[in-house]
Amino acid sequence: MGTESREKEISHDEFDPIGTLALIAVYFLILVVMWIVMWYAEFLDGGPTVVG
Amino acid sequence: MATFVDRFPFEAKVVRVAFALSFLFLGLGGIGGMIQVLHRTGYLRFVEEITGGTYYTVLTSHGVFLVVFFTIFFLVGVFTWAITKDLDRELGNPGLTKYWITSMTVGALLTSIAILAGFTNELPALGEVSADVLFTFYSPMGAHVLFYLGLALFVTGSWVAGFDWFKTWWGWKKDNPDKRIPLMTFMVLTTMLMWYLGTLGVAVEVVFFLIPWSLGLVSEVNPLLTRTLFWFFGHMVVYFWLMPAYMMWYKIMPKLAGGRLFSDPLARVVFVLFLILSVPVGIHHQYLDPGIPEGFKFVAMTNTMFLLLPSLLTAFTVVASVEHGARQRGGKGYFGWLRALPWGRPAFSGMALAGIMFAAGGFSGMINAGMNINYLVHNSFWVPGHFHLTVGTAVALTFMAATYWLLPQLTGKPLAGVKAAAVQPYLWFIGMTFMSNAMHRGGLLGIPRRTSEPQYEQFDYEPVFGSVAELDFQIVIGGALLVASLALFFYSIILTWFGSKVSADGGEGEVIDDEIPPALSGPENAPRVLDNLKLWVGIAILLIVLAYALPFADIASDGIYEGSEYIPVMIEVLT
Amino acid sequence: MEIHKYEKAWLVGALVLIFFFIGTIAYVSAVVGVDMVDDSGGALDVDEVSEDERFADPRVEQVGEDEYEVYMIAQQFIFRPGTHDTVDVPENSEVTFYVTSIDVIHGFQLVGTNVNTMVIPGQVAEITVEFDEPGEHGIICNEYCGDAHADMEGLLVVHPEDEWEEMQGGDG
Ligand code: HEM
Ligand SMILES: [Cu+2]
Ligand SMILES: [Cu+2]
Repeated sequence: MGTESREKEISHDEFDPIGTLALIAVYFLILVVMWIVMWYAEFLDGGPTVVG
Repeated sequence: MATFVDRFPFEAKVVRVAFALSFLFLGLGGIGGMIQVLHRTGYLRFVEEITGGTYYTVLTSHGVFLVVFFTIFFLVGVFTWAITKDLDRELGNPGLTKYWITSMTVGALLTSIAILAGFTNELPALGEVSADVLFTFYSPMGAHVLFYLGLALFVTGSWVAGFDWFKTWWGWKKDNPDKRIPLMTFMVLTTMLMWYLGTLGVAVEVVFFLIPWSLGLVSEVNPLLTRTLFWFFGHMVVYFWLMPAYMMWYKIMPKLAGGRLFSDPLARVVFVLFLILSVPVGIHHQYLDPGIPEGFKFVAMTNTMFLLLPSLLTAFTVVASVEHGARQRGGKGYFGWLRALPWGRPAFSGMALAGIMFAAGGFSGMINAGMNINYLVHNSFWVPGHFHLTVGTAVALTFMAATYWLLPQLTGKPLAGVKAAAVQPYLWFIGMTFMSNAMHRGGLLGIPRRTSEPQYEQFDYEPVFGSVAELDFQIVIGGALLVASLALFFYSIILTWFGSKVSADGGEGEVIDDEIPPALSGPENAPRVLDNLKLWVGIAILLIVLAYALPFADIASDGIYEGSEYIPVMIEVLT
Repeated sequence: MEIHKYEKAWLVGALVLIFFFIGTIAYVSAVVGVDMVDDSGGALDVDEVSEDERFADPRVEQVGEDEYEVYMIAQQFIFRPGTHDTVDVPENSEVTFYVTSIDVIHGFQLVGTNVNTMVIPGQVAEITVEFDEPGEHGIICNEYCGDAHADMEGLLVVHPEDEWEEMQGGDG
């Protein structure tokens, strides 16, 4: 099972997780957009709605 | 090369027993899932033809077997492994260990018998027995007392298991007075403290209300009170399923990716946040309950939103640790590094795909948590859509993936059926994408959950796009892929279990891999206060009192042993 | 404790997200006016439902110019009114539902809308709804309540104004 083919050692100080930051920024945007879409579907698309 | 089973034969056996029970319930639950899929969509309805409302017997078994027995048996197994390995120490009291595993097994057996008796509604010697109450067992629908007794034995067994692990840690601490709590041990201990606090609700519900009530010792219970006690426990348990998966994402996945954990201190912060926040949010399951003032619901909502924080932090730390692996393997670019990961290795791909699904499940969970937004989705098919992504994939698939890595350590045998194992996580991922997507969309149309035949006479659903037939088709395809994926999983692990050992010197060219590299930023960077468990328990209790004292007082003022009489769930048997 | 600068950025992002969610929910609640079902319907002992003047004769009642109240009992496996007879209201009305159960826990939802509440024995669920357009809405029980749970349904009809007037006249 030793499939870790390590090409090099990267220490803590040499490592900036820029790929992680990029992925998580995309996730953040998806969340905000989807939240707004749900909000629209629920409260603004007509039909009966709860008021109290 | 001595691996876990050679160094700790007794503990390895305990873990194997717990895993075997866990997988037994996974298999049974999976069969139930397929029956539900076929029945709800109308593709094949055979359960009703055998007996009456048997759908709900199946659904009760699916819920209880999967989210109580499969998950928690796996948890006690993997926590036993984690404590032993992390502290490099035996549990030290085999009598105690045997007690809890026996108590949990007997409990699971009793509850299972009560549930499965629902197919015929009677048992020899006991007469009428049924427990079609689903895994939430809301009063005033009552199950046979066997159902509750089994659960009580199961849960108290898990309490003793936690005590066993604490004792092991206390022993270690005596020998290592100044050392930091090792990370996996820290995770096990905080998770168990959370469990002790949260199970209090369900323990009170079962012991003081449901058992005496099902025996006729008290005539009435207050349905809103028992329901609130259940949910005091009911959200915390979600994290009890999830914490072992998190533990493996933090400790094992980075290593499988060829990297190291990015930050040990943040992992500790995350587990502390779960300990203090996971109970005072339970009322978010009762947003639509009458009898609870809106203010309490708002408090539960804000607490819930803050509970997103540890999961969002986990997303960063875990992905960064995996990225570290990818970069060490030569990965490049903003997104290109993803290609450098070992996607062919099922232990890794399973955990990674589980994590991706958890991100999606996180979104639908945020909607559920959104108090007034919850109106639209509450009790609709959206909700099982949500939790098949979380517990049904993030947890279940991670457990399966971890098994590919753990089982060789527990048996001394190399993983067999490797090709089947390599495909299995992808099948699960694709199957769940179909099933969960269709469930979410169906929920928005108004299709309810927990309903055997959600086709009505007086109205039709009005999809904005697509059709109900198309959703049903996706659900059936998804379910079939999931069951196929389970079959591959069982094929691989059964072959492994009954395979032959690697010789001790690694003579067959296979060495069992059980190394876990240290974190990039280690425990020495974590403030000492993080290891002060008493402090965090104190804060947790304080927050629980703030969130729950008034609601309980309010609900109990309608009467504690007043309300509803026992209504047995006897489903008519058509003969 | 050192935290990487990207992780700090994400911590801020996560908090922004959390406050954004709480903020929009508070806005819907306070400004749009979508209240949660709460304890305003009061508690009502299961044995006393038939003596309560609201539920002794479950019905739709006009209480103001465009305001109506619906007193409804949910029980295994029907809504009264709703299942055997439709719940009728006019368009452009504000309708308050009072729903209680005489046996186990049920759900009450107008299919595909956010008109949704639990119905718990011992409690009266109160929920106010605006109906701006005519149409039909299925009523379903969305909480498992026993073997025939899947059959528990009903219908609510929002009538166009002219039709409503005719109906009222007809009733004389
Ligand atoms: C073979 C894979 C699976 C299939 C085909 C499947 C299918 C389903 C379906 C169709 C429902 C909805 C039933 C209804 O509301 O009427 C359901 C409910 C549920 N499933 Fe699964 N499922 C699978 C795996 C899992 C797993 C792995 C878990 C958790 C570990 C899980 C946990 C649950 C729970 C908790 C419920 C809700 C039960 C209730 O409402 O009382 N399922 N499942
Ligand atoms: Cu929850
Ligand atoms: Cu029902």
